[in-house]
Amino acid sequence: MIRLIQTVILALIGVSSLISDAQAISKERLTIGISQYPSTLHPAFDSMLAKTYVVAMTRRPITAYDPDWKQVCLLCTSLPSLDQGTAVPELTQDGQEGLAVQYELLPDAVWGDGTPITTQDVLFSVEMGKDPASGVDNAEQYRRIDRVEIDGDKRFTLHLNKRTCDYQGLSGLTLLPRHIEKPIFDLGAAEYRQRTAYDTDSTNPGLWHGPYRIAKVTPGQSILLQRNPHWWGKSPYFDEIEIRAIENTAALTANLLAGDIDMIAGELGLSVDQALAFQERYGDDYQIIYKPSLVYEHIDLNLDNPILKDVRVRQALLYGIDRSLITERLFQGKQPVAQSNVNPLDIRYDPDIPHYAYDPDKAAGLLDQAGWVMGADGIRQKDGTALSLTLQTTAGNKSRELVQQVLQNQWKQIGIDIRIENEPPRVLFGDTISKRRYPAMAMYAWMSAPESVPRTTLHSQEIPQEDNAWAGQNYPGYASPEMDKIIDGLEFDCDEAKQEQLWTQMQQLYVTDLPVLPLYFRSDTYILPKTLSGLTPTGHQFPSPLWVEDWHLVP
Amino acid sequence: MIHYLTHRLIHSFLVLLVVSFASYGLIGLMPGDPIDLMFSANPEMTAADAERLRARYDLDRPILARYASWLAGALQGDFGYSRLYQQPVGDVLMPRLWATFQLLGISTLLALALAIPLGVWAAARHNRLTDYTINLVCFAGISVPPFWLALLLIAYIAVPVSWIPAGGMAESGENGLEHLRHMLLPVAALSLASIGSFTRFMRGAMLQSLGQDYMRTARAKGAHPLRQLFDHALQNALLPLITVIALSFGTLFSGALITETIFGWSGMGRMIYEAVMGNDFNLALVGLMVATAFTLAGSILADIAYAALDPRITLQDRGNGG
Amino acid sequence: MTHPTPLRRGQRIRGNFLRNRLAVLSLFILILLVLTALTGPHLLALLHLDGFETDLFNLKGPPGPGHPLGTDELGRDVLARLILGSQASLSVGLITALTAAILGSIIGICAGYFGGWLDSLLMRLTDGVIALPLLPLLIVLSALDFDKIGLGAFADGSGLMRLVMIISLVAWPTVARLVRAETLSLKQREFVVAARAQGATPFFIMRRHIFPNVQASIVIATTLSIGNIILLESVLSFLGLGIRPPTPSWGTMLTNAQDYIWDSPNLALWPGLAIFITVIAFNFLGDGLQDALDPKQHQQ
Repeated sequence: MIRLIQTVILALIGVSSLISDAQAISKERLTIGISQYPSTLHPAFDSMLAKTYVVAMTRRPITAYDPDWKQVCLLCTSLPSLDQGTAVPELTQDGQEGLAVQYELLPDAVWGDGTPITTQDVLFSVEMGKDPASGVDNAEQYRRIDRVEIDGDKRFTLHLNKRTCDYQGLSGLTLLPRHIEKPIFDLGAAEYRQRTAYDTDSTNPGLWHGPYRIAKVTPGQSILLQRNPHWWGKSPYFDEIEIRAIENTAALTANLLAGDIDMIAGELGLSVDQALAFQERYGDDYQIIYKPSLVYEHIDLNLDNPILKDVRVRQALLYGIDRSLITERLFQGKQPVAQSNVNPLDIRYDPDIPHYAYDPDKAAGLLDQAGWVMGADGIRQKDGTALSLTLQTTAGNKSRELVQQVLQNQWKQIGIDIRIENEPPRVLFGDTISKRRYPAMAMYAWMSAPESVPRTTLHSQEIPQEDNAWAGQNYPGYASPEMDKIIDGLEFDCDEAKQEQLWTQMQQLYVTDLPVLPLYFRSDTYILPKTLSGLTPTGHQFPSPLWVEDWHLVP
Repeated sequence: MIHYLTHRLIHSFLVLLVVSFASYGLIGLMPGDPIDLMFSANPEMTAADAERLRARYDLDRPILARYASWLAGALQGDFGYSRLYQQPVGDVLMPRLWATFQLLGISTLLALALAIPLGVWAAARHNRLTDYTINLVCFAGISVPPFWLALLLIAYIAVPVSWIPAGGMAESGENGLEHLRHMLLPVAALSLASIGSFTRFMRGAMLQSLGQDYMRTARAKGAHPLRQLFDHALQNALLPLITVIALSFGTLFSGALITETIFGWSGMGRMIYEAVMGNDFNLALVGLMVATAFTLAGSILADIAYAALDPRITLQDRGNGG
Repeated sequence: MTHPTPLRRGQRIRGNFLRNRLAVLSLFILILLVLTALTGPHLLALLHLDGFETDLFNLKGPPGPGHPLGTDELGRDVLARLILGSQASLSVGLITALTAAILGSIIGICAGYFGGWLDSLLMRLTDGVIALPLLPLLIVLSALDFDKIGLGAFADGSGLMRLVMIISLVAWPTVARLVRAETLSLKQREFVVAARAQGATPFFIMRRHIFPNVQASIVIATTLSIGNIILLESVLSFLGLGIRPPTPSWGTMLTNAQDYIWDSPNLALWPGLAIFITVIAFNFLGDGLQDALDPKQHQQ
């Protein structure tokens, strides 16, 4: 019996050594591993990362941020601008301050079946988005558009009912092919989501307009892309791209080692500690890139908690943890420490704001001042209550659980007792944080766009409450008239010098009041074949495959 | 017989009904509805958006009312749409059911093919070295944490042997060899534990039937030892094994979750898990009910097989349902 | 068969059991493990180890002085965490199996002894629970908010009691069926019939005549189920629904180690082995007990 098994294993290894060379990466097909399978391919529904990733190769948003974090046109000829008269302030019909912005679609842009992309598609897309029955998640982008005015096939003007400084971007408006989707939509807006060709007929070439189009879908498993013959831009290097979803990250790396996938996407792959562990052993065989991203890991402090109401305690909390040691040791410095909510790569970042370097003595001093004196058991006390706080995060997120346990240890050194009570994501986000039920501290991440104004997270009108149906994401419950004024200014006072000043003030105030403890910015980790070139990590929500036509192999 | 079957079917239907209600209620008790989740992930959604979407997905009505309308639809064969996949529940379910069925079918057959001879062998060599060795190996198979085993298989077999894929399924158009290749490791992982328990069971049943009166008679009559083993003992030992297999089918169904997750096999276990976590009521419910139905069907089949193979047993309502 | 003489029976059982060397070895290992778990904190103090102290300068360190099995991904001592983990893993296994055994025995004896509508009702319930797909059900249960359904007391930070409760809820039917079947046959025995004729109350009969005679089966079934429960704990940890940090359990240690199998396979080896040895020991013990206690095996 045992000898039989041995023989079989030997035979298999023998066969495999004959075949294994055939799996070297080639121009014919690139196989990418990601850790999630998109539940829909419709560009306007369910903004999940896996879909954004796949769709980036098969379509292009009208505008996007490029890898240098600059706003650019991908489907238009130029960005509207107040200086050039392509953005014109106006009054809306009900007398509010509005803005008319003008775009022109690329002249040779066509859908994958050869039909030109025209302003008719824009009209339909806005119609779909504004229809309350259609069920887009984020209707804000469409609500802003009062009406669309078209001028020929390519030029259109949007009349916006808000005059904000971020008027140039139009990434939220996703173009849909009117000639395919309109008849389906007209059958009934409420059923459109279930009938859309994007999910019932995903391989229809007319749905796509990127360098690739979808050739085959194996639900839950993989999506095969092929060159789009009607693509008007630079022809991509790879004939086919296969995107394969493998949820378990240990299995994901094993698939890479086994040669079943060629690379692991940075946007949806390994966390930094996982990638570092992989690099330790196989780093020489792959090209591993770490790119700090806009994903901001932080701890929200519930300001209704009597202990945390005292700003000295909040500051002591931040002085009491050694964030640079944590990123240095756990993440080998690949994830930068966050000084505030603005990423150092963002042009709005102010390097001169006060930093909270690790200083346990200062932390102890602040706690003493606040009346928390060291007890005999090593935990500080005040009027008989112990300095004990609950720290919650998403159960099952290993990186966070690691950091959490180090923080618990470090806070214990300055006499703060931390109770850990983690919850599954759907409980934590669905209930505990969003209804502000967390007793003291909640650790999670925000993902944002470059230069995004933190209105929903810091403005006092955005505190979730029973009477506003728990709207807003100001989960700490931070209410500062000064911050409100700065945020209003950031949105509406578009003068560049003024903007710069306001951004600085915002960051200053953020680190002084500390409604949130900044931890670090998460990094995306790309594990690529050594021969792959041209892939530029972005670090923001516009993923690297938006420039997939630049990817190629170098010998 | 007919009376018995009707009785059992009605009983099973009632169990399914209770299971559907209990599952609906339990999933409803899980905190955070899907809209809350979307909401907290997207800083630009407003309260109005949330209300609109809640109405859109029928989440604004009380849970009993929703269950009633779901049930009314289900009884007419309309199981509704999956919220996660935006497809009719049946369309999501069927390919996954087939995938799981393949995996389970093959691993159960493989496990049986190995377990029956091993069990007989161990029983024939009762309390000797062979018996001990087989016992030890079987217990080892039962006692390994399933995901640890799966990861070991990937790390030590799939990675060095590039012919064996570390995960994924063959695409529907590809040939049989391709399908087999992809099934190799998941089947190995799944069958190892079943081999252990089936062999143990087979051994026990064999020992028991070897000790029965008719075996003593056979021995006294001087039948060849192998004849004793196969003609008499094996036949009687196979009966209880059938019951165990039929009953374990339902358990295997949900137990395949770990194997499916690690080997990227898109089957029922994974689907139910995702549906529960993603608050996809219709899909989770139908998935749970299909799995329950399999267990129930398994136990009915076990009874029928029992009656068919053993003339001494006639089917009546046995009170405790097999 | 009437009541066997207790002394002779006891001796025979002990003799049978002691002859099964694997079972004896398993019992020995398990006693050691339980002692380790019980004395955990003192043992650690004695060995100068700390399972919670993180050391960012010694991550995934090799075995060496001060750290007999090396350190984990946060620089904590692996041996210390294994010892502490045995507390969580063994308590989940033992407490759950015991709860399920008590629940199952009561239901089984009542159903078997009283019969009639009570039997039908209880057995339908048992069937229903057996028919439920176990893992998905556990997933739903572990995500429930216990405060909402008035069980806030079970919501300790580590989730241990919650785990015990939900696994017990689905683990009792095996015992219940077994006990019911034996009760049914015991009910017809002379000594039970005689006791009933003398006017003994049902409670008295169940306690004095039935329970002592089904005890053996309960012990066997419970011992065999402990292994499964420990495995289940590791599976739930794998799904992110197990014991929560910083409380270590073997399941969470193993789950966390999977991402480091490439550079530090030892981190997965130790908890994996601990689970494996414990589960296999419980299985051998149960098997040995079965051989020693189950009269059916002695017909040969």
